[in-house]
Amino acid sequence: MSDLLQIARKELKVGFRNPWAYSFLVLFSVFSLCLLLINAQTDISGYSGVTGSMLSLILYLLPLMALFLGSFSLTGEKEEGSWSLLATYPLGTLPFLLGKFAGLAIVLLTIISFGYGLMGVISVLMGQRFEVNTYLLFFLFSCGLVLLFLALALVIGALSRNRWQAMTISVMVWFFAVIGWPAILIALLGFVPYLWIKPLLVMLTLLNPAEFVRLFVVVKLGGGSILGPEYYQWVTWIQGTGGSLWFAALFILWLLSALSIVYAIWERGRTHG
Amino acid sequence: MGVFLILKGLRKWSFSILSALLLLGGIGLNLMWPAASVFGEENELESLPSLQELVDQAKPGELIILEEQKYAGPVRIDKPITIDGSKAALVNEQTASAITISAEGVAVRGLRIAQQQGGEELAAVTVQADDFLLQDLRITTRGFGIVLRAADRGILMNNVIAWDSGQQGATRMGEKGNGIDLYDSHENQLEGNRILRMRDGIYLENSMNLNIINNRIAGSRYGIHCMYIDGTQIVGNSGEYNMTGAMVMGVTNVRVAENSFTKQSANVNSQGILLYDVQSSVVEKNIVDGNRVGIYLEMSSGNELMNNSIYRNFVGIQFIDAENNLIHHNDFVANVIEAEARDSGGNQIELNYWDSAQVLDLNGDGVSEIKYAMNPFYAQLVSSDAAYQLFFQSPGINFLSGMYEGERNSWTTDLAPRVSPNMPLSASGTLTEREYISETAFMAIIASILLLTSILTIIYSGGRKS
Repeated sequence: MSDLLQIARKELKVGFRNPWAYSFLVLFSVFSLCLLLINAQTDISGYSGVTGSMLSLILYLLPLMALFLGSFSLTGEKEEGSWSLLATYPLGTLPFLLGKFAGLAIVLLTIISFGYGLMGVISVLMGQRFEVNTYLLFFLFSCGLVLLFLALALVIGALSRNRWQAMTISVMVWFFAVIGWPAILIALLGFVPYLWIKPLLVMLTLLNPAEFVRLFVVVKLGGGSILGPEYYQWVTWIQGTGGSLWFAALFILWLLSALSIVYAIWERGRTHG
Repeated sequence: MGVFLILKGLRKWSFSILSALLLLGGIGLNLMWPAASVFGEENELESLPSLQELVDQAKPGELIILEEQKYAGPVRIDKPITIDGSKAALVNEQTASAITISAEGVAVRGLRIAQQQGGEELAAVTVQADDFLLQDLRITTRGFGIVLRAADRGILMNNVIAWDSGQQGATRMGEKGNGIDLYDSHENQLEGNRILRMRDGIYLENSMNLNIINNRIAGSRYGIHCMYIDGTQIVGNSGEYNMTGAMVMGVTNVRVAENSFTKQSANVNSQGILLYDVQSSVVEKNIVDGNRVGIYLEMSSGNELMNNSIYRNFVGIQFIDAENNLIHHNDFVANVIEAEARDSGGNQIELNYWDSAQVLDLNGDGVSEIKYAMNPFYAQLVSSDAAYQLFFQSPGINFLSGMYEGERNSWTTDLAPRVSPNMPLSASGTLTEREYISETAFMAIIASILLLTSILTIIYSGGRKS
């Protein structure tokens, strides 16, 4: 446990000395102020086209940020040789990776909190209306998104040999999960029998963190009817408390499985040199 | 891409909805008293005084003020008298309507009525004569609520009608009766009635020149269901959680205005306002929010739809075989598919506000200089397989639709979209000053905690050299 804390503390320190973190901090702060301006243009509460646009913007930026910071941190360990040094100590792979995850998670959540905090304070000072409910949901949405993509980033970091490789894979994963997702799915699902489409689509959606977190927030924002009659039962179910619990369960399951993959890869690298 | 849109809007939905819910909840509680506790145990009924005796003793034109107690039904009123029963209750266990009015000029006020038998058109109140008044009645029924047959020029005001599920628990929608049911009854006024959990809230057939004003209907099949009712006005009614808000069939010269139909998405066929075979009618200033289809037009022509607020529906407006209608000054916000048309030519769509339209107003007249053509990519995708609805407003779908430009001429097009919404949201939706302040304070606290924590984390962990 103390190993884990040591690693997390070190990660935090390195994280905030990393110029990347600050450039993302500035980027995200500017970005959150843009969200505030967009929101100011609408008076419609609940789900609207504007909310959809804001969600899309968040979906573009945050996963990329998490993927870069996360995967670079792990490949950095390899490139700079600090892992080779650490590996000579009696330090388990699990505390090391969990410490890494915790440290990076705190860095990313700090960046997001700063952005949202700034946005909130400015909106209050300017007398701008931003619904508390929407604000909190957006904040949670961002946190969830970042944590899931951070776990994914660690997988990428464990697989890549250096930063360049990590960056290439990160951009690829980002494009696949965020932008290309519907196009790829529509193309692929065209080949399967009609009755398989919905179950397959639902399953694949659960595999894509960007999609399932987005859908959860959309439904929670009250845009449930937008999913149409096809998913009506889903919507009533997600809007209840049970839905939140299941979402939390899925979220944790996702994190755990991603982290265990990282663990397997890292452990293999350790024993096979 | 949303950043580039010019977007403005209406305010504070959730609070109006919340207040409406609270209100409805209140009505619900009020009506859900167990029949036994209010009307007494069943064996007590034997000894209840009969209302029929009182009516039989009264002279025409007399006013009967009922005492604070229960009476046994049924009763037939066959002379012009007035019954004031604001403290009394009428319990009817017989297979007949609790009250049957068969003479002109009868008025019944304030009575509580429990109709405990259902069946073929058995109602709490049946009216078969003209010039009547039914006011402030509170009805629970296991059949129909109020039935009018060949009864003209009557007034039904501020009555409350609810389904009494009794001990049987849930009842299927088809087994219930209608709240208020009119047939061949003209020039009646239905105002301020509240109807809960019936089959059709208000059912109108073959009746002319009615005024249906400010009624509230919840949890029923159709809120207002009308067939062949020329010259009628349906104004200011509201409905929630019904299957369809207003279903209007086979009429001409009807005015449907200022109604609000929300959250009707439970059924695959649910619509806010359904117009079938409707000609030369006006549909204006209605609010349809969260329905599967906001406004649905079929086989209808020459109608004018304006100043409606169409929010968060799966399909905003749908035309099937509907030609030469005029659709202008409506607000379309957050509808998945904004407009859909099939075999419908000559509809003129202009000056509406679409929240997802890209608009450009050069001369500042509030009207965009570029047309808004609705990209049918997503609608087509979804109609080929509804499962793809999961992609709604997914960043990738915006990306794909942007690339799809085929047959632009055939897209549903608003010739001159408006830059800002046409209709302000109802005043009931705005926050009071106090709520506003507390919400702002809450926001300020949360935001500053977030900001402070993050700054402290940065300073403590990164900035400090150890």
